[in-house]
Amino acid sequence: MSADFTNDSLTIEVDDDGAIIVHGDIDMAGGPLLEGSILQQEGDTPIVIDVHDVFFIDSSGLRSLLDASRRARARGTEVVLRSVGPEVARLLEITGTTGQFVIDGRRG
Amino acid sequence: MAEVQRSGTTFAGPVELRLPAEPMMSRVLRLAASGVASLSGYSVAEIEDIKIAVSEVLIALIEHGDGNAIDVRLVVDSDAFVVEGVTEVRGPFDLAHPDLRLCRTVLAGVCTDHDIEHIGTMAKITATLRRPFPAG
Repeated sequence: MSADFTNDSLTIEVDDDGAIIVHGDIDMAGGPLLEGSILQQEGDTPIVIDVHDVFFIDSSGLRSLLDASRRARARGTEVVLRSVGPEVARLLEITGTTGQFVIDGRRG
Repeated sequence: MAEVQRSGTTFAGPVELRLPAEPMMSRVLRLAASGVASLSGYSVAEIEDIKIAVSEVLIALIEHGDGNAIDVRLVVDSDAFVVEGVTEVRGPFDLAHPDLRLCRTVLAGVCTDHDIEHIGTMAKITATLRRPFPAG
């Protein structure tokens, strides 16, 4: 596993199974990095994004996830958010977008 | 604005920042706002909402502005944390843009009140987090 995308507040790795592991803040600066990583992984299988190490997300970061979900649905697949913490869960709930993703586990 | 005294720290606002319209400034503003809120005795949960609010204010003004500097004012007292962001926008500032609607949805979720104005060449966003904050 290697750090494929990084900036001051966000590091993104892709594991051997193709899951995108996100460390840091998904904000206006980090959203485009996440978007680039997702685009590289897109195919016929679900996109898995591990957000266990994400402690901040805003609407610009959420837009990257929603765009990925929209594209995945168009391909007949889905976006899986793995190990969702309360910060990510809260933004999904506020915006009513939880149903746009498959939630695979929660971080306490 | 009243002086706030908590945890042995005396703090008199407001705090004013002029930020370049760059995405990386979001983190800078979150750090500043969380520091101010912490000094003023706000809880961890409240600070999380404040971080989201300041980030949304900056997103709206950067993504829909003309790239001019953004003036942010953090006004804090024991009852409310107010974020004001202003930038010069000479072109259109589409208040109905879908991305701006998402910002507003988030602001509505974490703030007691928020307002987005485009008057003349100035776009202004005010977000107020009044205690008790909306349930997290």
